[in-house]
Amino acid sequence: MKNFLQKIKFDQWKAWIYLSPAIVLLLIFTVWPIFNTLRMAFWNGYGLFKELGGELQFEFGIKNFKWVVGYGGFLDCLKNTMLLTVLTVPLSTILALVIAVSLNAIKPFQRFLQTIFFLPYVTNSIAIGMVFEAMFNIVGFGTSNPSYGIINNILGVFGVDPINWINAGSGYWANIAVLVIYIVWNALPFKILILLGGLQSVNKQYYDAAKIDSTPRLRVFTKITVPLLSPMIAYVVITGFIGGFKEYSSIVGIFGDDMHAVGGESLNTMVGYIYKQLGENHEGDASAAALILFAIIFVVTMINMYVSKKKTHY
Amino acid sequence: MADKVLTTMHEKDMQKVTVAQKITKVIVMFLLYAFLCTMALIIVFPFYWMIISSLKSTVEYRLPIPTLFPREILWGNYLEAFTAANLGRLFLNTVIVGLVSTILSLVITVLSAFAFARLEFKGKNALFAALLATMMIPGELFTITNYVTVTKFGWLDSYTVLIVPFLVSVFYIYLLRQNFLQIPNELYLAAKVDGTSDLKYLWKVMIPLSLPNLISITILKMMGAWNSYVWPRLVTSTDDYRLITNGLRDAFTDMSGQANIPVQMAAVTVVSIPLFLVFIFLRKYIMKGVSRSGIKG
Amino acid sequence: MKIVLQNLTKVFPSRNKKSNEEVVAVSDLTFTIPDGKLVGLLGPSGCGKSTTLYMISGLQKPTGGQIFFGEDDVTSLSPENRGVGLVFQNYALYPHMTVKQNILFPLQNLKGADKLDKNTMLERALEAARLVQIDELMDRKPSELSGGQQQRVAIARALVKMPRVLLLDEPLSNLDARLRLQTREEIRRIQRETGITTIFVTHDQEEAMSISDVIVVMKLGVVQQIGKPQTVYDNPVNLFVAKFLGTPPINVFKANVKGGKLYISGEAVLDVPGVCDRDVFAAIRPEGFVPDDNGAMTCSLSSIEVMGRDVSIVSKNEAMLTPTIRSIVDADYKVSASAQSVKFNLKPHKVFIFDSETEERIYFGNQTAPETGI
Repeated sequence: MKNFLQKIKFDQWKAWIYLSPAIVLLLIFTVWPIFNTLRMAFWNGYGLFKELGGELQFEFGIKNFKWVVGYGGFLDCLKNTMLLTVLTVPLSTILALVIAVSLNAIKPFQRFLQTIFFLPYVTNSIAIGMVFEAMFNIVGFGTSNPSYGIINNILGVFGVDPINWINAGSGYWANIAVLVIYIVWNALPFKILILLGGLQSVNKQYYDAAKIDSTPRLRVFTKITVPLLSPMIAYVVITGFIGGFKEYSSIVGIFGDDMHAVGGESLNTMVGYIYKQLGENHEGDASAAALILFAIIFVVTMINMYVSKKKTHY
Repeated sequence: MADKVLTTMHEKDMQKVTVAQKITKVIVMFLLYAFLCTMALIIVFPFYWMIISSLKSTVEYRLPIPTLFPREILWGNYLEAFTAANLGRLFLNTVIVGLVSTILSLVITVLSAFAFARLEFKGKNALFAALLATMMIPGELFTITNYVTVTKFGWLDSYTVLIVPFLVSVFYIYLLRQNFLQIPNELYLAAKVDGTSDLKYLWKVMIPLSLPNLISITILKMMGAWNSYVWPRLVTSTDDYRLITNGLRDAFTDMSGQANIPVQMAAVTVVSIPLFLVFIFLRKYIMKGVSRSGIKG
Repeated sequence: MKIVLQNLTKVFPSRNKKSNEEVVAVSDLTFTIPDGKLVGLLGPSGCGKSTTLYMISGLQKPTGGQIFFGEDDVTSLSPENRGVGLVFQNYALYPHMTVKQNILFPLQNLKGADKLDKNTMLERALEAARLVQIDELMDRKPSELSGGQQQRVAIARALVKMPRVLLLDEPLSNLDARLRLQTREEIRRIQRETGITTIFVTHDQEEAMSISDVIVVMKLGVVQQIGKPQTVYDNPVNLFVAKFLGTPPINVFKANVKGGKLYISGEAVLDVPGVCDRDVFAAIRPEGFVPDDNGAMTCSLSSIEVMGRDVSIVSKNEAMLTPTIRSIVDADYKVSASAQSVKFNLKPHKVFIFDSETEERIYFGNQTAPETGI
């Protein structure tokens, strides 16, 4: 018994030694920020006063939140973020589902195509954003002899007039369209991977049973595949929403740090807003915005989970 | 009940049904492949465009009707890209940061995962739950304070600031702990009886057995360094410490439409090629890691 | 509707690419299943019985041969158009649908002349549910049902569209012993009530014997014997069939025939008129032993198990090929447990002899080969 207790004690301090590097780092870079963010967010005018060099007393309040929501351009960022999320998540999920189901239905070249569809996952979103920029860009814009870029040329084959996607004076919706295309392109591989994995683990007997009962293809898809896949679909949608609300680098990739086309409307997002405030030493406002972002993500995730609990049947 | 038996095929023309079914199958298969190939083309096209554009001259690039293959291959764009974006130095920085942070991170992750999987101590479950809870919080929330903290530490413009704040990943600890838990505890007890030390046991038994996961973590961590943009931009101001993605975007922010896009694409290609190599040779591990995580980089 | 299988063959390509060995799952299968019968496909695992079932359903395509439903050649017809009902070994109930939705599912797929309106569908579903006595459970999900209940739902789902043929793949293997007895009676009853030609697959000979009109015994893709259960039991055509049927299993001995007599361990135990001298296997059903102090066959006694009506005598003999010799005799017969040995006489119709090389049956006396087919 005594030996056993000694062993437990020995295990105790050994465990803490093993954990110590992780715990120290987590305390500094994870736990402290959680408290500090709360502190700064509810400290009226935190960053602003500090910038002026004043030593100030802690003053609890929600002024930072008020300022962020009221004046800081935050609402525009929120609008952009929401818009991108609401457009890209359903689009990429449905497309990924159709691709995954198609992939699962073929035999020759399945592995090869699967590899191709996974390709965009291992890319640098800034780098490939620049490629998309180049594809949509009008070279020599404003000159007498512009090259409309590959996308406009391809559209031209179908009789579409060149569109000013991202150059100076381009419209908000044209900008959003380019972003949606890029974000969906970027989001597909992960979703296809998860959904295909889910499909491959569905018991084949359900499909045999459906065949025996002469079930039409479309009905198999809507009545069997989608419900059986619903946990994976829910997972993909939830992670898609979380990713969507944190959208940032894809916009930088295409439009640069300014996050807008020349002379165009701002395409800034919530995360972009936080970094902008931070860059201007408005830590209080940045913290308040970060907490709002966290709250939104939290609520949306909860709603998603609630809905998917109702919709995923087993 | 017998009167309700299905009207059966002998009443219909079986031959016709079979043929019709075969035709439908062929059409469906054709449509499936057509759809998949079109989508695959769309997926691959940006990469193709990136590579061929990087080899064109500016004159050719500006042709009103773009060429699908460069008439004249211009390797010089790559040389120019290296100088324009200072890619050599940034590349070196990225490799240093990536390697050091991966190694240190692996050590910390393995030790913590081992403690959580094999050792008994007070508050283990509570601590583990608390760790998992932090995974819900968006990283941006930490960035703000961490920026303040590293400024106070005087770490701005150093390798330290790029490495240390991101050494601990709760997700990797979680992943590895699950892996360790699958290794039967009897092995550990047997090692204890033989008088094997913990570290030796870790090195000889647990690490080899969880190698696939460790490789996944290594790749994701390296890719994380390669793709990180926001943090380095925030905490570094000179090319001495900036990472490759920063150089890429910042060197080519000319939006006037007159930018030398072939050189830009050459730089983008240079940044993308290591990722492709990793993808080609280590795809299995990445896919495994990704399907378990859903976290990019 | 009768089902005819003609020279049906299924060859699976080798899994191992290096060796080009193909696996012959079913080889040259020919038999007819009469209309309205309950047929059991019986054999050890890997004998091709499930493959045969799946070929009848259309889920697997035969490599050679033909399948007829009635007069129609359905060999190339896909499963959708065969109008069969199939109960899977694990039932394959859709986990996200209630019992009602599961049973309705096949009806909602019916097209053309078979198309039903909503009320008829509900009526038919309820009728099917009543038939298998699960009409109380219509709103449950499969996960809320016991194994036996799931099994019934699966049968109801297969029956509800009134298939031309009902196929069951190891229908009882996932049930516990008590439920198994009960459910097999249910299957018998349901088949009788609906009169649908039914084929089921099992590895459990007792199960097959107890409810089938006809059993088909298979081994390594080849049919060994087809017939009424009692006929096959009483008159096996080879050693495999003899060993496979019966509980407790048949007792097998190394033996030889000399001068019209069967010798086991040097004792002449039975007259076998009309068999020339040769080495044979002798197989004796447990009920074929008659204890007799002056009996022809001597065995050393191991133990006696009294089981109410019957007494089971466990003994040994140096020529035996089974681990022990088990004979079942009437409880009236008293054997002294302290005795060292026991002597038996043999009932000639419970003794089968087989060629020692081909293991084919050698008929003697008034034994005759069973009629082939059904």
